[in-house]
Amino acid sequence: MVIVNFIIKNILTQASITIALISLIGLILQKKKVGEVISGTFKTLLGFLVLSAGSGIIVQSLIYFGKIFTKGFGLQGIVPSIEAINGQAMNNLHLGNEIALTFLAIFIVNIIIARFTKWKYIFLTGQAILWMATMTTVFGKFAGLSGAPLVIVGGIVGGIFAVAMPAIAQPIVRKITGSDDIALGHFCTIGYIFAAGVSKLVGDKTKSTEDIQLPKGFEFLQDTYLSVGLVMIPLYIVTALFAGAKFGSQLSGNVNYVVYAFLQGVQFIVGVYVLLAGVRLLLAEIVPAFRGIALKVVPDAKPALDCPVLFPYAPNAVTIGFVGTTIGSVIAMFVLPMFGLAMILPGMLTNFFAGGTAGVFANAAGGRRGAIISTIAHGFFITLLPALLVISFNKMGFINATATDVDTVTAALLYAWIITPILKAL
Amino acid sequence: MFFKKNKKKETSSMANGEDTRKLDKRELIDEAEDLINTIDSVSGDERIKVLNRIGSLYFEANKIDDAIKYYEISISENKSLGKAYTELVKLYNIKRKEAISKKDDESMKQYMEKIDRLLQLSKDVIRGRG
Repeated sequence: MVIVNFIIKNILTQASITIALISLIGLILQKKKVGEVISGTFKTLLGFLVLSAGSGIIVQSLIYFGKIFTKGFGLQGIVPSIEAINGQAMNNLHLGNEIALTFLAIFIVNIIIARFTKWKYIFLTGQAILWMATMTTVFGKFAGLSGAPLVIVGGIVGGIFAVAMPAIAQPIVRKITGSDDIALGHFCTIGYIFAAGVSKLVGDKTKSTEDIQLPKGFEFLQDTYLSVGLVMIPLYIVTALFAGAKFGSQLSGNVNYVVYAFLQGVQFIVGVYVLLAGVRLLLAEIVPAFRGIALKVVPDAKPALDCPVLFPYAPNAVTIGFVGTTIGSVIAMFVLPMFGLAMILPGMLTNFFAGGTAGVFANAAGGRRGAIISTIAHGFFITLLPALLVISFNKMGFINATATDVDTVTAALLYAWIITPILKAL
Repeated sequence: MFFKKNKKKETSSMANGEDTRKLDKRELIDEAEDLINTIDSVSGDERIKVLNRIGSLYFEANKIDDAIKYYEISISENKSLGKAYTELVKLYNIKRKEAISKKDDESMKQYMEKIDRLLQLSKDVIRGRG
């Protein structure tokens, strides 16, 4: 009994061990060799701890940024980063264990729905499920749930999203790919549908984005981290300049305050780098194990894949979508504070992936003109939704960050606006 | 009664259809084989076009493995987001489904990994790393 208690209290409460055990089960169910099971489980454990280390770096950098931004501009500057939310939820709110279990629950609910209903979508983008698990756990906790109910409700909400989002997107995905073979598994789908809807209203389908000549690649986006740096480093420096030498020096110690701001900007990127390396390590074993199980349990499954699967169908639309969404998010950055909402800084990674995919959807619905106009609207839309969450995040003690992927934001709003009032009324 | 009649008709037309398909299939394979003989004599964009055409002919003839082979050569020589890419996604998915129906876990894993690699290629090409 003493040993069982020890295990429950000291081992199973450790998120890194929980997620490693989930991976262990997946690998055993896949009948892997002993060596592969051990290495896979260890890599998952390592991945989780690397992720936590990365989030710690991000949080430190954001605390500094929050201080200089408030001093410099007199308002709260929010960095849209689901990675930062995940990191803070795990490190500061100690929700890692619940997030790991919800991650598993979402997967199971997804398989159950796909197995027993006509919606055969299996959501295979592990990273997106991790973000969904983060948001349902954080907002479930905020709604007053804990323990098993927190995980189960999160699993059900996330599992429904994992089937519903690919299902909603499928009519347009069919149009884009010309077949029903694959589906889209990316939790920015509500934004894509929004972009397609606007594009249909304002566009002209006869003129496609693919009939025009655009530059072949984004040189500056060749590296994810370089692209984040191109926005974050100048932002830190300019903000420090606005905050002034006197205030900046209080935080920078012996280092010049502008140099310190530069280094803190770099630290943010280091944090994202470490965190994403952790996520990759963490998911490298879990996702193949569980997708193997899912595809066996649901033999006629339709795999819902990450958004780059659609890029080849309209590469120009990806470029237009990225640029349009960035313009929209910059407009929103200045407009939203006029309505009492927080200033949300543009998130380059989301603008690239979600913006690019929105461009492909918009082109399918309303051609070139539709894509240009609707992706600007998309940029505004995907900035507005996270802005609505800032009040809740602030109440929960999150530091200068908000979520990005709009479907996870919608799930969070569902908790904040529907589940929380119901639970509080009971 | 009507149902039976219709069914008969359907069966006979299906038989005719099958004959035509068999004939078409042979023609498609012949054309692909002719093109294979020309591959070494062409280079650059022309070679990619020929490789894609061979892949397409085999795909139409339902020779999935051959179609994959030529599309894979095409994409390895020219990392772009054209027909080879979009057709390979479909072909890998067909192979994945086949593997599931045969309960062949290893093949299923192999084709899911191939799809993963295509996703990575898509990201890289869009960013100009192709």
